[in-house]
Amino acid sequence: MSLKPRQVDFNATWGAIKETIRGVITLDHVPRTVWNDRFSDVYSLCVAHPEPLADRLYAETKQYLIDHVAQLLERVQEDGEQNLVKNYFLYWTQYSVGSQYLHSLYLYLNQQHIKTQKMSDAEIIYGSIDPNVATQGDQMEIGELALQVWQSNMITPLGHRLVKLLLEAIDLDRAGQPPKIPIEAVRGTILSFVEVQAYRKKAQLQLYVELFEMTFLNASGEHFKRDAALLLQERNVSLYMEKVKGKIEEELFRARRYLHSSSLPKVAHRCELHMVAEHLQFLYSECNNMVKYEKKNDLSNMYDLLKSVPNALVVLVDTVFDHIKNQGLSAIHNLQGESIHINFVENLLTVYKKYKSLIQEVFKSDQNFMGALDKACNSVINHRANDGRAPCRSPELLAKYCDTLLKKSSKGISESEVDEKLLESIIIFKYIDDKDIFQKFYSRSLAKRLIHQQTQSMDAEEAMINRLKQACGYEFTSKLHRMFTDMSVSADLNNKFQEFLSKDKIELGINFGIYVLQAGAWPLGQAIVTPFALPQQLEKSVQMFESFYHNKFNGRKLTWLHHLCQAELKLGYLKKPYVVTVQTFQMAILLLFEKSDTLSCKEIRETLQLNSEQFKRHAVSLVDSKLLLADTEEIDEVETNLRLNLDYSNKRTKFRITAAIQKETPHEVEQTMNSVEEDRKMYLQAAIVRIMKSRKVLKHNLLIQEVYAQSKVSFAPSVQLIKKCIESLIDKQYIERTPHSSEEYSYVA
Amino acid sequence: MADENDNERMDDNQKSDKMFTLKKWNAVAMWSWDVECDTCAICRVQVMDACLRCQAESKKDSYGKQDCVVVWGECNHSFHYCCMSLWVKQNNRCPLCQQEWSIQRMGK
Ligand SMILES: [Zn+2]
Ligand SMILES: [Zn+2]
Ligand SMILES: [Zn+2]
Repeated sequence: MSLKPRQVDFNATWGAIKETIRGVITLDHVPRTVWNDRFSDVYSLCVAHPEPLADRLYAETKQYLIDHVAQLLERVQEDGEQNLVKNYFLYWTQYSVGSQYLHSLYLYLNQQHIKTQKMSDAEIIYGSIDPNVATQGDQMEIGELALQVWQSNMITPLGHRLVKLLLEAIDLDRAGQPPKIPIEAVRGTILSFVEVQAYRKKAQLQLYVELFEMTFLNASGEHFKRDAALLLQERNVSLYMEKVKGKIEEELFRARRYLHSSSLPKVAHRCELHMVAEHLQFLYSECNNMVKYEKKNDLSNMYDLLKSVPNALVVLVDTVFDHIKNQGLSAIHNLQGESIHINFVENLLTVYKKYKSLIQEVFKSDQNFMGALDKACNSVINHRANDGRAPCRSPELLAKYCDTLLKKSSKGISESEVDEKLLESIIIFKYIDDKDIFQKFYSRSLAKRLIHQQTQSMDAEEAMINRLKQACGYEFTSKLHRMFTDMSVSADLNNKFQEFLSKDKIELGINFGIYVLQAGAWPLGQAIVTPFALPQQLEKSVQMFESFYHNKFNGRKLTWLHHLCQAELKLGYLKKPYVVTVQTFQMAILLLFEKSDTLSCKEIRETLQLNSEQFKRHAVSLVDSKLLLADTEEIDEVETNLRLNLDYSNKRTKFRITAAIQKETPHEVEQTMNSVEEDRKMYLQAAIVRIMKSRKVLKHNLLIQEVYAQSKVSFAPSVQLIKKCIESLIDKQYIERTPHSSEEYSYVA
Repeated sequence: MADENDNERMDDNQKSDKMFTLKKWNAVAMWSWDVECDTCAICRVQVMDACLRCQAESKKDSYGKQDCVVVWGECNHSFHYCCMSLWVKQNNRCPLCQQEWSIQRMGK
């Protein structure tokens, strides 16, 4: 063959080409040599001299295809309506493959002649031109031309008849009847509506959607409505949901078998619309029971169905919220006995964990339900009994729970278990609104643990404080940190004091140790200091330490907290020697018996100058321990005589008398609550000063907002309280109202 | 706290005829500024706590150890040092007794 353009006899060449096309398009055998010759023929027509014959070739080919499809249309219809789909599919399969070969045969025409006059892809995709119109006047590549001819000459006349048969076939499948038309033919025919437009750059699914899918979805919709009505007759929500879930799955399976993949979500949507969205009231009618009895399977079905309908989950979410809240409230209702704090925290955790895992399992951790869990926990944990008149006890109980874990006495439970439990207590902590109240109680018990050396492990203490700091920030734990600082400063002071003593060769006669605590950092309260005449045995220690301390620091005074001091006393008057650990007041009482075996309470009180409450608490504890004996049933602070029990014996030679310390008295709880109010004012004032210092000028509402945002990690202040603090700062001239407006403040440097 | 040493144990043996022997005393004391009034008259915060401005700045270093100390005037009135140093810029008199302000001592 020659590539040189030459004169060509169009009719002769086209005659040969036409003969070959017939073979190609009907998938007849075409020998390689013939194929090669025709391939050259196409080329020579395109480059023919004196003028190229490409346009004529194109026109003749198109006419040929039109005539060919017209013949096929006849043949498709030959065997009647029952074979229409099968025949269509048969000829479509042949034609669509044949037209691809034909496309290859016309390679030169496609690439050199047609590509040059085609619009760019971008023009088609982004242009406003209708793809149906765009290709009409212009020439198309041969493969596309063949498809277009098929669409207009086969599908256009036959489409509606085909669709009717296709829908009947699918209905038959739905009814569970054996197919009358092979599945492959049904599917192939449906997909031919897509394939015939697959060459398009835009709106590829247009024919499929308009001719078939819309009709199919409408028909299916009617079917779903009928199905739903039938299922509803059983009036059983649980069963209905099972069936609907099954139905949706089945329809998706069917859609996957017959339809283009783009139809799947549409089928599911129709199903959900007619079987779920239109029957919400029916589904909701069982919501309460399913939640109440925690029917996981039903709830899981309910969730799956409702989540497909916009906003339909709200009712279920609300029901779950109410349920968790009720369960939580009843878990902590009417707790009695010594271990209320343990029951309180652990019961709440049980409820929390139970519903968290239920939500994970049944509702796939859906955020709506997680939110309901948070909201429910929040309202349970901050619940106030008596219509909100009683104070919320959660902060106190949680702090006590932590104390129980961190204290030495928690026996039979390993360090890692303690750590695990402390970690979990943070779950409850995060829900508490008044975290500052928790902090108060926590610092009280921390103080006691530190002073009485009852801390189980310093690592555990620090780990817990770090967790609190993580949850609430530095300020929240700064006072707790100050307590730890005092402990290490005290250790240092003790060493220096011993050095001071040995340098001056001073003997105290006792083994002396001290904690010096910074007032204000420790929640001990000045009011607790009561009168006390120091036993002579301690005088030297106190004097020496005071002079050492005043030498070291300037402007400080020391207040001895005798109710917190402890002594180790060796008892030498019994059959064997005992070492007993007592509080200073108890020790002072015992020491008086060195001179006399029997003393009246009146004498003791007068000598020691103890107030009635202190005296009673400690005298009772000594009588209870049987170290002292009383001559009356009830101890009267005037009448009763106390006698040293000279027959005392104890299996242990070292023991502690604890009864009178450690108990949290109602008075202390009240005091704690009162100091919270003062601390809040201080906290808010500091926050206002901080904000105003950086902003200089701020409108009233914005200031309130910022203060609120800063303090809510610790507590939720009332607007009234914030206003009070603003007024007090104006009073103290930290801020002032600006001249323009009473609703605006400026910072006074 | 500190462990007993051998010396003491010997003492114990010698004095074993005593009815009560005080072996060990673990004392607890609280320190505070030796002031007439617990509250700073300028910022109306307890002198044991940092002044309002220092609290607002919430110094995050050195674990809550505040350097906001107390200062005593010759008149024996006391205030936060921070508060007083701002005050004297305006008015070099004690806010409580109107005497000329001069520092008697500083807390340490
Ligand atoms: Zn001040
Ligand atoms: Zn300051
Ligand atoms: Zn003064």
